[in-house]
Amino acid sequence: MKKSVILIVLILGLVLSFSLVQGAPRLTIPETLFDFGYAPQNAKLTHVFWLHSTGDDTLKIIRVKPG
Amino acid sequence: MLAVGDSTRLEIILHTKRYKNKIIKQPRIESNEGQPDKTVKIQAEILIQPDSTYPIVISPYKLNISQFGEKIRDEMTFKIQNVSDQDLKATIVDIPDELFEVKIPDKIKAGKTAEAVLKLREGSLEQSFEKTFTIELNDEAKTRFSIPVHRAMRLP
Repeated sequence: MKKSVILIVLILGLVLSFSLVQGAPRLTIPETLFDFGYAPQNAKLTHVFWLHSTGDDTLKIIRVKPG
Repeated sequence: MLAVGDSTRLEIILHTKRYKNKIIKQPRIESNEGQPDKTVKIQAEILIQPDSTYPIVISPYKLNISQFGEKIRDEMTFKIQNVSDQDLKATIVDIPDELFEVKIPDKIKAGKTAEAVLKLREGSLEQSFEKTFTIELNDEAKTRFSIPVHRAMRLP
């Protein structure tokens, strides 16, 4: 029983350290809301948001789904 | 693919079509960061009568700086009429800097009309585009207006 517990703890430790070494991607968006205010009909309003890769691994933007 | 420490721009386009009143859109960004997806939010108040607004009236409310010939058209003026009873200051809060600049007088006096100038950047003279710039007033509501700018190029 005691050996099993030690084994589980060891496995968990290995998994945890492996994931720490691997790192994780992280997406940071400093500005997440933009208000255009008043705007006319039949117009294309445009705004640029900045996306930053702030994790420990390469970030992949897979797709942007319209709201 | 974004390496650690890199950044990229995400341009969101909102077509106002025949919408009326307030619209809110919330695009979702799916990445390998995992669930839940991150979101950004845009909102606008769509005007049915853009030529009778308060506290200012922008004329024209859509700017068309198209060029249909060899004569370079790189500048246009538009008017901002202050229809309120207080002096107003307008600040540009969003503009595609790489394409054009907009000069607005420091103060638009109550009941008066001021002239603003949009000037294309040298690098955008050969481009066609549809973009927007947004101004914010210093009134109590911090009222914002977004002005669409359209440029088409057709050389003979």
